[in-house]
Amino acid sequence: MKNFCSLFKKDCQMMLAGKFFFVAFGSLIIYTLFINFGYVNFMNARLYNVYLFDPQGTQQGRSELIHPVTSLEELNRALSTDTNGIGIDASSGTPDIVFYFGSEKADHHRADYALSLLRQDKQYNARTVGTNTPELKQRKEMSCELLFIEIIAVGFLGIASVLFKEKQMGVIRVHAVLPFSKSLFIVSKIMVFLLSDLIFAALMTVFNIGFHDAVGILPDVLVQITILSLIMTLTGFGCTMLLKDFRQFSLTYLVIAIFAAAPVFLSANTSVKMAWIDWHPFYHVYIGLKKAYFGMPVKNPVYYLSSACEIVILFLIVQTAFHKEMGKEG
Amino acid sequence: MIEVKNLTFSYGKDKQALHGLNFTVGDGEIFGFLGPNGSGKSTTQKILTGILKGYGGYASLFGQDISTAHTQDFFRKIGVLFEFPYLYTNLSAVDNLRYFSSFYPAKQLRDIGEILEKLEFKADFMKKPVSSYSKGMRQRVSMARALISSPELLFLDEPTSGLDPSGAVLFRKIIEEERKKGTTVFLTTHNMLDADLLCDRVAFITNGNIAALDTPKRLKEQNSNNRVRIEYLYKGRREEKTIEIPELERGIPFWHDEIISIHSEEPTLEDMFIQYTGRRLS
Repeated sequence: MKNFCSLFKKDCQMMLAGKFFFVAFGSLIIYTLFINFGYVNFMNARLYNVYLFDPQGTQQGRSELIHPVTSLEELNRALSTDTNGIGIDASSGTPDIVFYFGSEKADHHRADYALSLLRQDKQYNARTVGTNTPELKQRKEMSCELLFIEIIAVGFLGIASVLFKEKQMGVIRVHAVLPFSKSLFIVSKIMVFLLSDLIFAALMTVFNIGFHDAVGILPDVLVQITILSLIMTLTGFGCTMLLKDFRQFSLTYLVIAIFAAAPVFLSANTSVKMAWIDWHPFYHVYIGLKKAYFGMPVKNPVYYLSSACEIVILFLIVQTAFHKEMGKEG
Repeated sequence: MIEVKNLTFSYGKDKQALHGLNFTVGDGEIFGFLGPNGSGKSTTQKILTGILKGYGGYASLFGQDISTAHTQDFFRKIGVLFEFPYLYTNLSAVDNLRYFSSFYPAKQLRDIGEILEKLEFKADFMKKPVSSYSKGMRQRVSMARALISSPELLFLDEPTSGLDPSGAVLFRKIIEEERKKGTTVFLTTHNMLDADLLCDRVAFITNGNIAALDTPKRLKEQNSNNRVRIEYLYKGRREEKTIEIPELERGIPFWHDEIISIHSEEPTLEDMFIQYTGRRLS
């Protein structure tokens, strides 16, 4: 325990010396300002315009939000200028949905919306899911996404900046002949960055969702952050040990960040389909984090078991790489 | 203290670094391991200190097979000075020593201020970051780190490198003092003067083989040509003659007015190294 405390204290000093806290603190301020003064205020989704061509007047009890048109030409003109609009061609007596352009998921969403306006007589009610207000939903979504990026990118870079400095100073080799279990060196580093990520996640959630709403979801969010942080810091540790310098690391970092973040965001937030995404470890963590934010934490033990296995395997790889680094020439 | 039998090590298929080394180091002995760069000195030291695994043969330290010896208790008994002064450059000398010494039991630790003073470390730099130190000052802090835990066995890799002549003399004095206390010293170097002045025995290592192992004195004597070179003045002229040592028994065997100097033609340790290994040290 005494040895761990020595290592932990020194790692905190190294982290402070590397100005890592300033970077994390800066990110926290920027993200909070963005969510509170940018995203929430200016990214409110406008209502879709719904245009109805119903020459025979077959659609009764419709919403006042529907814009009636008098001809198919007028309907096409309206959709070609308002590309997010939804057209309903009811000239045959049954409503056909017409889009200018769209994608599968958005189209379903828009079609549901248009039909709900058409059937105000309760025949077609949209189901209400959850208790989040639209603003809270936006706050949670954006906090989740920014937090995911932060842990993947900045946390990963943070451990590299500290370790490359130690590598450059050669002090890793000195630890090889000190009387303590060498795994403690790895554990201490991982703990420092995990703690920093957890503090960051807690502050980010409280600042952007509000203390009252954050309290209930925070434990689940922190569990997901722990999984992601351990995976990323161990990956960062391993890369630092295996790669020669920060330049090589930057390239690897780009590849990993793109590999980790891009498919996950595309798959989770757009209609882009990737058959292999279920095999992407970060996809499940991202979904786990999102579910935690929306108060529906993942309960599947397989997820936690496979995450634990992944962390253990990464730790063993890092341990081997660390021992190799200690044996290198000066 | 150290026993090595048929020690082999390879960094890869065609990179055999050690080809069956055999040597022993006694308690309280200063043992010099001399060889040029890439000869296998550092590899041997890394195996003995537990940094490198996967060696062949047998080695024991403190009477224990090193395959099982590298426990925390073992590391408490050794001190290692690396070839380069590996220190946290953002921390001061005192903070570095405090950190590294925190892994040892308090009862075996020496006083930081006292040891730095002994190493003639400039007091006003004690709390300044290592990044502002000269190479010699960094080497002093590294030496302090190696000595702070009062080790029974010291591994010193090029201890006087980066030091000015007075610093080198000071380090040699400190190593001598350690030996007097009973500390065993495994000295890896290609500095012949250090080896000659400090070591009880030296081993010449080249290409992973020990070419010769003996006391520096004996190595030189065995290969001495038993001659002396005499410079003298005779009738106002400065002259020089080389004679066999037995000829001196009856006095100077030639006419002279004044003897200026007498030099033995005994080879240096470096001459011996070249003779045994066919290579220069640096």
